[in-house]
Amino acid sequence: MAQAESSAATPFETDFWKDAKLRKMWDDIVPGEPRKTLPYKLTQEAIALYCRAVGETNPLYLDEAAAKAGPYGGLIAPPAIHILLMFACTPADDWMRSPGTVNAGQSWSYNIPARPGDTITLQARALDKFIKRERLFVVHDNVFFNQHGDVICSGRGQTIRPM
Amino acid sequence: MTSVNFDALKAGDTIDGPAFAVSRESIRLFCDASLDYNPLHLDDNYMKGDFGKTNFGGIIMHGMNNFGLISRMLTDWALPAGAIHRRLETRWLKPVKPGDTIRPAGTIKAKQTTAKSRWVLVDVAVQNQRGETVAAGEAMLEFPASAKAG
Repeated sequence: MAQAESSAATPFETDFWKDAKLRKMWDDIVPGEPRKTLPYKLTQEAIALYCRAVGETNPLYLDEAAAKAGPYGGLIAPPAIHILLMFACTPADDWMRSPGTVNAGQSWSYNIPARPGDTITLQARALDKFIKRERLFVVHDNVFFNQHGDVICSGRGQTIRPM
Repeated sequence: MTSVNFDALKAGDTIDGPAFAVSRESIRLFCDASLDYNPLHLDDNYMKGDFGKTNFGGIIMHGMNNFGLISRMLTDWALPAGAIHRRLETRWLKPVKPGDTIRPAGTIKAKQTTAKSRWVLVDVAVQNQRGETVAAGEAMLEFPASAKAG
């Protein structure tokens, strides 16, 4: 699906109730249908904030001089930066933001690191949906790319959808 | 940290992760870092309600905070050895709440050599201060034959 215009001009909406009615319920989600995504420019500030939140201290993520001398020849983001990218690359009406969405598990494969300054794009879809013990599940399929078209990482997840 | 060596690794070897104190502030910081502002992590009033058959009784930590801690443990272990964190799969078993202290750990499960590289499979888990496993999963790390990161 064509990507929507960059969200750079609009600040991130932190009230997830605000657009709740615009988001697809489990009933509306069509497995296989691409989700609308947004390109996102990953900054060193965003990487540093993520590192602070989980206690990452590796100089490869935080110290430009040390990173330059290291195996990647410059600063990189930690592999799990996709935690941020998932929300950064999806619009306010995306159903990942539906209040009450419960993460039931994830698997991610890592190809090359994201770097500060990268413009990240996401290809994402629901791949499957099912009902188990009266709970509504969706299987997610996500691939992040850098501006060169290289795969950064790919992941599969399951969420339990709010009723 | 002592750097690990593929040939010396064996099943049953362990990886120790960092203790992480969970607080309302740490959860709020994770909201800002991840842009995940789901009310599960912010709104105590909302969390008084039931979720199907589950009642959490108050805000809970992001499941992906566990994921981030496990990933941190793995990269801190792998990078000095020239190894690369290639895969992580986790599922959440119990909610984590403010006041909990959690700690990830890993146990080497198997080694595998393929046509072009060498791999280590690691069972991972996160436990809380009561010894309860709150998250569990499996990771895969690559030890390139040339020990060069890519």
